[in-house]
Amino acid sequence: MSTHVFGVRHHGPGSARSLLDALESLAPDIVLIEGPPEGDGLVALARHAQMRPPVAMLVYAPDDPSDASYYPFARFSPEWQAIHYALGRDIPIRFMDLPLANRIALRRRAREEAAERAASDADPSEDDGAEPSAEPAEPWRGDPLALIAQAAGYEDSERWWEHMIEERRDTQSLFDGIRTAMTALREHVEGELEQDPPILERYREAAMRKILRAAEKEGFARIAVVCGAWHVPALEKRPKQSEDNQLLKGLPKVKTTATWVPWTYGRLSYHSGYGAGIASPGWYDHLWSQSGDVATPWLIKVAQAFRAEGIDISSAHVIESVRLAETLAAMRARPLPSLAELNDATQTVMLFGESAPMQLIHARLIVGERLGRVPAETPSTPLQEDLRAQQRRLRLKPSASDQSLVLDLRKPNDLARSHLLHRLTLLNVPWGRNGGREAGKGTFKESWRLKWEPDFEVALIEAGRWGNSIEQAATAAVVQEAHRREDIGQLAALARQALLADLGEAIEPVIEQLQARAALAADVLVLMQAVPELARLARYGDVRKTAVERVDTLLDGLLARIFIGLPNACSGINEEAAETLFGHIQGVHEGLQLLDDKPLQAQWQRTLSQLADTQTLQGIIRGRCCRLLLDTGAMDEEGAARQLGLALSRGNEPGQSSAWLDGFLRDSGQLLIHDHALWQLVDQWVCQLPEETFMQVIPLLRRTFSSFEAAERRQMGERVKRGPMALGSTNDHPGEFDRARAEATLPLLSRLLGLEDSE
Amino acid sequence: MSTQSPNEAILRQHAEQEFAHELEALKAVDEHPRPPNWTLSPWAVRTYLMGGKLSNGVDISPKYIGQARLMEIAISTLATDRALLLYGLPGTAKSWVSEHLAAAISGDSTLVVQGTAGIGEEALRYGWNYARLIADGPSRAALVPSPVMHALEHGTLVRVEELTRVPADVQDSLITILSEKTLPVPELNTEVQARKGFNVIATANNRDKGVNELSSALKRRFNTVVLPVPATLEEETEIVQQRVERLGRALELPAEKPALQEIQRIVSVFRELRQGMTADGKTKLKTPSGTLSTAEAISVVNSGMALAAHFGDGQMRAGDVASGLLGAIVKDPVQDKVVWQEYLETVVKERSDWKDLYRACRELL
Repeated sequence: MSTHVFGVRHHGPGSARSLLDALESLAPDIVLIEGPPEGDGLVALARHAQMRPPVAMLVYAPDDPSDASYYPFARFSPEWQAIHYALGRDIPIRFMDLPLANRIALRRRAREEAAERAASDADPSEDDGAEPSAEPAEPWRGDPLALIAQAAGYEDSERWWEHMIEERRDTQSLFDGIRTAMTALREHVEGELEQDPPILERYREAAMRKILRAAEKEGFARIAVVCGAWHVPALEKRPKQSEDNQLLKGLPKVKTTATWVPWTYGRLSYHSGYGAGIASPGWYDHLWSQSGDVATPWLIKVAQAFRAEGIDISSAHVIESVRLAETLAAMRARPLPSLAELNDATQTVMLFGESAPMQLIHARLIVGERLGRVPAETPSTPLQEDLRAQQRRLRLKPSASDQSLVLDLRKPNDLARSHLLHRLTLLNVPWGRNGGREAGKGTFKESWRLKWEPDFEVALIEAGRWGNSIEQAATAAVVQEAHRREDIGQLAALARQALLADLGEAIEPVIEQLQARAALAADVLVLMQAVPELARLARYGDVRKTAVERVDTLLDGLLARIFIGLPNACSGINEEAAETLFGHIQGVHEGLQLLDDKPLQAQWQRTLSQLADTQTLQGIIRGRCCRLLLDTGAMDEEGAARQLGLALSRGNEPGQSSAWLDGFLRDSGQLLIHDHALWQLVDQWVCQLPEETFMQVIPLLRRTFSSFEAAERRQMGERVKRGPMALGSTNDHPGEFDRARAEATLPLLSRLLGLEDSE
Repeated sequence: MSTQSPNEAILRQHAEQEFAHELEALKAVDEHPRPPNWTLSPWAVRTYLMGGKLSNGVDISPKYIGQARLMEIAISTLATDRALLLYGLPGTAKSWVSEHLAAAISGDSTLVVQGTAGIGEEALRYGWNYARLIADGPSRAALVPSPVMHALEHGTLVRVEELTRVPADVQDSLITILSEKTLPVPELNTEVQARKGFNVIATANNRDKGVNELSSALKRRFNTVVLPVPATLEEETEIVQQRVERLGRALELPAEKPALQEIQRIVSVFRELRQGMTADGKTKLKTPSGTLSTAEAISVVNSGMALAAHFGDGQMRAGDVASGLLGAIVKDPVQDKVVWQEYLETVVKERSDWKDLYRACRELL
């Protein structure tokens, strides 16, 4: 019987390569892998045809799915390769570590103790704000590897490991070297460890030894152990069995469930429950997939990524980049170019020193965008569990038939249902459709159509990479989406969706993104697009009890920019553009009317009157500005008449005059019917037009007037028929009205307006 | 009066003269392989630029303060016989670095072509001694070599300053030299082929008005290293403060030394607008069309001091710097004004201790 311990680095392609060679030559009859024993039952799925790494093994407590740990695997992870090696040869696999059942229980106990301490701490001033860590820290105090790296003249240990182990091409005697290094290292730091024993570390290593001993007892002949390099000495130089058993006795326990979830390289790139995040999964993937020259294929990939983005990179660029990377490597005393040299070469040769496009390479290639997949047979994920629990609690049964549902958002249960449906939509599970307030029905009613489709289950499993509860996952999904979307209008819509789904934590990043995009947007039009949506949010958000202060600040910033930029944006544009602006000005105006903010409205009015007075602008814009000023009372009728007179005076080009009139009157003719002075001015203007010009402007006028209600048009027509003398016959007797008859309409009116509760 | 050695009377010495002892010391300990015709190995050149202590006890002063990475790229570029383009804002030590690179690699930094708008092809290729040309007809003796041709013949570095100010057609005469490493002389039906060690270091501004953008064919033959502006607020504040003090003394301004705070505030405004982001990284900003170099920050402080001295109470206040800021930032009356207004309304206005600056700047708009 022999036991071989292979110390690896989680997610190290060099370790994986060396490990495979070592396993081939050892031909073990059992493989023990560092990982949660709960995963033993799941491991067979790793070879399922639909399984695509990166995936993560997820172990969670079913009573609180957010209490979970992830064990991610990429195809270049040594553990993943070991699993595949063993499954391919029908060799049993066992995970060895402290069961998550104990770890989660320990974590909970630590939390409770911390909470108790906080509660018993009478003196609030002693609160140092430090969160009690949910799990005792790993013993990598500082970073013990840093000692070796320093000795080798490296600044950080990560890079040292990368050069010495992961980018190494020959794998001979690597594991002996690692063992020697780690043993020396642990002897060096052990003294410190004993003073402050890291309990969890000791539990974990004791548990590993326990599983190892069990395997030895079962009579396996050649046992291969794959674990983090740090643990190698602890598994080879073992204390007495009874000591370990004593240590592990009586540990608390909770019920746990394990499953696979899809993972992404993006999530591999930062620390997860594993404590082994890596900075460059995409680069490792490349190292894993290339057996010979690494630099050239990498730079070709870089060139292709740039070409796809429309940055022209020729083969000559690639050649020169390879040369520079190799020279740099030589200068930095490295046998082969590593990522740092390749990045320097890319930036210098391909990008002419520019650093911004390097971000593209970082996102696409260095981190990578690979998304994993798990088979449909995977046991149900916490997200699915969470949804089921919420469905029970909110009494919302999934059904394959179409159902309609009207929610009254003033009721807590309905509000929670609405949040759930909105969140699911954000997670690409459109169980409810058409969720939204119908126009004119007030802001507290939502009507939905519910229909459960079978493929929603798959979507839910996929959404598992975002988080373990619907809320968590939807938040993460929104944040990610916010970083992807560039269009300000779309971002505003996303902010609204997030508010509707009550994702308080997601709002901030979305708003931040909006702010960033808005600051850079050179085009005022784009900013104006976002205003109506945001104004609605700011105005009605509070009905749904969500915080909207952030929206207010954002709006202030947006509007400040619009007020400054609008005059420039309006000048020197053609009619078509003016038409677009017309709509946007209207939108901003309506948005502002929703906000009860006097200073902002005053500023807007100043901007509008500045526009109205700038003679060089398109008539339609000036006309609309006058109209809006008149509507808000910032301009009196006399002023409006003066402006109208100016716009329609003979000195102007008739096309511009009619455009002005269009802007002024569009969508409502009431003004013209009721204001005699204006009527007269328009009348005079039309009458003085020579026939030829009249024919020119008639199509535009017709368009303006066709936007009026039929009744209005008829009234106007009749008045024109009566001639100029018949003006103002409609309401010439203000003193004479029948009070009794007027009062008779009041009950009906108040019912129509909903002033009286008829139910 | 004591007699001066000829070197001491010179206003400014070349790098290889001023730092001759350092170069000698480096040569003495340099054991790394040298590319053909280099006086030092790439490792020694890096030490010369970044500074350090040698094994024989000689201290090498740092010539470039910043990322060692950039210097490594520059040196490696020259070692791969690709031309080097140092790119960046004015005042980021481009010419300084190129001079020292030439001094350390070729031992001679005097082969320089100063790029101007009026430069002709002969400055990059060769000219003729017309008297000899007329007397003897075209011959090698009648040819006047340019620094570039000289460098080709001797296998050394040649520097081209302000490459983007050179007219496009003249720039393109570099293409053959860089790609085929030869300079044809059709008049004599001959050519000058580059000896090993020949290379070109060019410098260029990326923000200058009226630059002649390099053609892609030429650009492709250069490796570009962008020299950045000072990395931190502290570093830049220090540079501005030192320069202002020295200039203030030279101009004999009676104003009090400006408060560090005021300088910091000006440098912050410059840095934030230059980076298009507030210092806390929370708000993005538009950037104005001007360069906003450190040198301009210095001049804003200077003019503020002059205003305070001659028209104020001697203490530089927000009102004294406001007009200088406006002038430095608003170079394009339409676009930059919007940028500046936005900055005032969204950033300056919000900072409680910047109220005076906000008011002073608002008054000017």
